Amino acid sequence: MRRRFAFAVIALLQFLAIAGLAAQTRGQDRPWTAPDHAASKPNPLSNRPELSAGGRKIFEQRCAQCHGDDAQGTSRAPNLLSRRVQAQSDGALFWKISSGDTRAGMPSFSYLPAPVRWQLVLHLRSLATVR
Amino acid sequence: MRLFRLMSIPCLLLAFIWAPQPACAQERAYFVTYDHYLEEPRNLEIALANTTGVPKNGNAVYHAPWLEIEYGFTGWWTAELYLEGVTTRDGQGFTGWRWENRFRPLRSEHRVNPVLYVEYEDINEASRIQKEIVGSGAIEFEPIAELRAVHAHELEGKLILSSAAGAWNLSENIIFEKNLSADEGVEFGYSVGVSRRIGTLASGSSCHLCAENFIVGVEAYGGLGSTEGFEAGEQRHYLAPVVGWQVTPRTTVKASAGFGLTHASDHALLRVGVSFELPGGRR
Repeated sequence: MRRRFAFAVIALLQFLAIAGLAAQTRGQDRPWTAPDHAASKPNPLSNRPELSAGGRKIFEQRCAQCHGDDAQGTSRAPNLLSRRVQAQSDGALFWKISSGDTRAGMPSFSYLPAPVRWQLVLHLRSLATVR
Repeated sequence: MRLFRLMSIPCLLLAFIWAPQPACAQERAYFVTYDHYLEEPRNLEIALANTTGVPKNGNAVYHAPWLEIEYGFTGWWTAELYLEGVTTRDGQGFTGWRWENRFRPLRSEHRVNPVLYVEYEDINEASRIQKEIVGSGAIEFEPIAELRAVHAHELEGKLILSSAAGAWNLSENIIFEKNLSADEGVEFGYSVGVSRRIGTLASGSSCHLCAENFIVGVEAYGGLGSTEGFEAGEQRHYLAPVVGWQVTPRTTVKASAGFGLTHASDHALLRVGVSFELPGGRR
């Protein structure tokens, strides 16, 4: 009896999770805006463009799978070279990398040290310049 | 270690079947404590690990290997299957399986990030991986065959709280466990961990031994009695330094040496593990 109860609880939890998954919509279409205090932060590495090479390496390892090798997006994640993304401040991009958006499938990268996340921002800016 | 080799076969098969593409492990350094980072959506992680226990009172050293298959269903839900075994001079065998789910209810990062954890365990009394420690009392050292005959169906819940600050992570887990096969009340446990990456800048070139690839930390874990009694003198508590090395973007090796702090604890729990991150492919 107890075993059946346990299985019932597990089955219910799985059902709820799957139902939630089905109900989930792609989050990038909803407003996802960095708070003002975060958006206004300048990139402390902006005068060290040589560090964008480290950002490129981290991008290839952690971001390219969803955003594409050239950062122009895939069906899983948006184009990071688009005007909509590039118009955002360095601080806003840093906040989005750090915070993630679990509903849209964007992981939080706060486990990377803050300077590494700023290196990612440098790399994104350098890609847009090259383009 | 025949059991360990047997358990590695499905792991290697899955590693070859899954499309090999660049992806990066975000493996935590802890063995027991969970932080708030879930598996990335559609990524599969396969891990092999082992707990070697050095008991007191002349009891035999034991090895408890486990295979861990973790999948990120969504950005807020990760599920994991464990298969575990044990081997000692008194015998060896399969000790059960666990089905774990972690849910992250909040959309973005906060000062403290909660994660809800629910696990069902179908294990037997020979289980010694000690991925969590709850309740009170030392490990039983009867012959493995006898212990394997005693089954337990358990439901476990955890409240995971985790914070990121600079290059540091601080995580706290509160554990509740109910054995559905016996009238033992609800057992409690805890684990806390603090860790940090050594390097704070990414180098521009690929490297294996750079500081940026290493995480060091320490975790403490143990039981906190049950609704039947606190029994402080019978609780097991451990303090364990941990180190993680990201060998390649997809492979992490980690190790820990846990030292028993109470008389019910073993002298030491030595753990080692390797994990492979397998990306779910691009579309």
